Amino acid sequence: MNNQSINLEIGGGGERTCYTVPIGPTHPALKEPIRFTFDLSGEQIVGVDIKPGFAHRGIEYMGMRRNLIQTLYLSERICGICSISHPLAFTQAVENAAGIEVPPRAQFIRTIIGELERIHSHLLWAGVGAHELGFDTLLHLTWNVREKCMDLLEQLTGNRVDYAIPIFGGVRRDIPEEKAPLAYEALDYYKGLLQQMIDAYLHDKSVEMRTRNVGVMTYDQAIELCAVGPTTRASGVKKDVRVDMPYLAYADMDLHAITPEDFGTEPIGDVYDNIIVRLLEVAQSIEIIEFCLENLPEGELSSIPKVPALLAALKKAEGEGIGRHEAPRGEVFHYVRLVEGQDEMAVWKVRAPTYNNLMPWVPKFLGDEIADIPIIAASIDPCMCCMDRVHVVDEAGLESVRVKEELVRLSREKTRRVCG
Amino acid sequence: MKPETVLSSFHAAFGNKILEDRTIERQVGTIDPKPVYDLWIVVDRASLHDAVAHLCEDFNPHLAVISGEDLGSELALNYHFTTGWGEHYGEVTFTIRTLLPKNDLRVPTITDLLPGAQTSEREKREFFGIEVDGIPDDRNLFLPEDMTIHPWRKDLEEETKGSVKRLVKWEERDE
Repeated sequence: MNNQSINLEIGGGGERTCYTVPIGPTHPALKEPIRFTFDLSGEQIVGVDIKPGFAHRGIEYMGMRRNLIQTLYLSERICGICSISHPLAFTQAVENAAGIEVPPRAQFIRTIIGELERIHSHLLWAGVGAHELGFDTLLHLTWNVREKCMDLLEQLTGNRVDYAIPIFGGVRRDIPEEKAPLAYEALDYYKGLLQQMIDAYLHDKSVEMRTRNVGVMTYDQAIELCAVGPTTRASGVKKDVRVDMPYLAYADMDLHAITPEDFGTEPIGDVYDNIIVRLLEVAQSIEIIEFCLENLPEGELSSIPKVPALLAALKKAEGEGIGRHEAPRGEVFHYVRLVEGQDEMAVWKVRAPTYNNLMPWVPKFLGDEIADIPIIAASIDPCMCCMDRVHVVDEAGLESVRVKEELVRLSREKTRRVCG
Repeated sequence: MKPETVLSSFHAAFGNKILEDRTIERQVGTIDPKPVYDLWIVVDRASLHDAVAHLCEDFNPHLAVISGEDLGSELALNYHFTTGWGEHYGEVTFTIRTLLPKNDLRVPTITDLLPGAQTSEREKREFFGIEVDGIPDDRNLFLPEDMTIHPWRKDLEEETKGSVKRLVKWEERDE
């Protein structure tokens, strides 16, 4: 992320003073820590250095010293928003390594909860984006709408976060038939609201003025920087694990990766395209959940329901496995190696989507203005706990710290300015 | 992407430099099961950069992550790529594994081929204490800038534990 090599030509023949501005220690967009050090020429960003790690808790280290079921609980606590995405990838990695089958009904239930998580995560992101731009009415509207999904998750699993649904070889809770009407009601509610959400975000002149051609990442940059999720799809890269290498109930569906082309526009890879992809994915998730509810197979919930038997089977297993899941923010990748006779894993590597979306921040920030920092930072939907602040230094080496409130104020002033 | 296409291309280009290869087929889907594939190959360190270059030339790979394991006298690095994305059922995972002797923990960078590998290479550098030759940025990424211990090294376990103990002590003092 050292980008001295990617210096931009700035007008004024380099005579203008370049300032280095650290922003943080709190994150300008989300309530999580990461440090950005921006090199600024006037209002324009000419360089950025990113330092994550302030929320590094050594979860992989801990996981390699516990038995697999204890680690499953740990995996669920890697991230509060992706609280089913990590367990989904983790269980699949262990199942692939140990050769454990998952009954069809369990695969469908996992998919339903995974897609509900996508709906609430994308709505949460859209609300945060609206807040960064200064549209707090839209933030409150979006988050109010999101509550329906949270309520449904609570009714289906008992919890708003950390649903504790997957376990190796199946799921821990059923979705009984009497709960299905609640799910259909919530889906109908979202279907009725979707067009309103699209109008409020995508057909709003001021949102467009603040997000079009801001935070751009091109198609080629997305590929060479290994971006994942809606961040890469906004640049037109059709990469989605659910489509490319299907798993769970996705393997029974004919899905396609959502890009801005589905909205009828050419992908540019800016913040506006990120909004398009995420809102359209909410519509796709509704269809997936409907398919799963209608085709929910009968049968067992788990292939090894008794926990002591499961632990014994896992202790006997030997091998390595890869588990992947398309989380709301992008692909979650888990690598696991099991050694026979050992309760804990020999290796556990967790790759959250923000890890791969760190590098794409660099081209997104370069050339844009200081007031655009919050919305660009938010555009990749970063998650530091899955994977930290902003710090500014001027040419004489003087450091100053821009706090979140100041940046949000600058961002809002710009909205007022561009809207006249 | 067919798994045979990738493997035969590698066998043609590298011959006996591929020390080991494996294709794992898995059935996915409950109504009409279809196969998906995980490919694994082992190459020695000298061929690693060429293998990645070959992959970049013909297969438009995506680097998911690099994982590593301390095996005692050696350290294993797994470069987890995926290729063939953009097509329904078109993707396969392709892992290139290489072993580094403990007394010479060096590996060439692949950031010249795939700039996105930098995050993962910096992480392996700090967590395992390996040298990545030619990496554009060799500062610590996730660990504090002044931290010199390598938490995932099994032979340095005592140092890591000592560091955790010091932290607990410091936090207790804080209360």
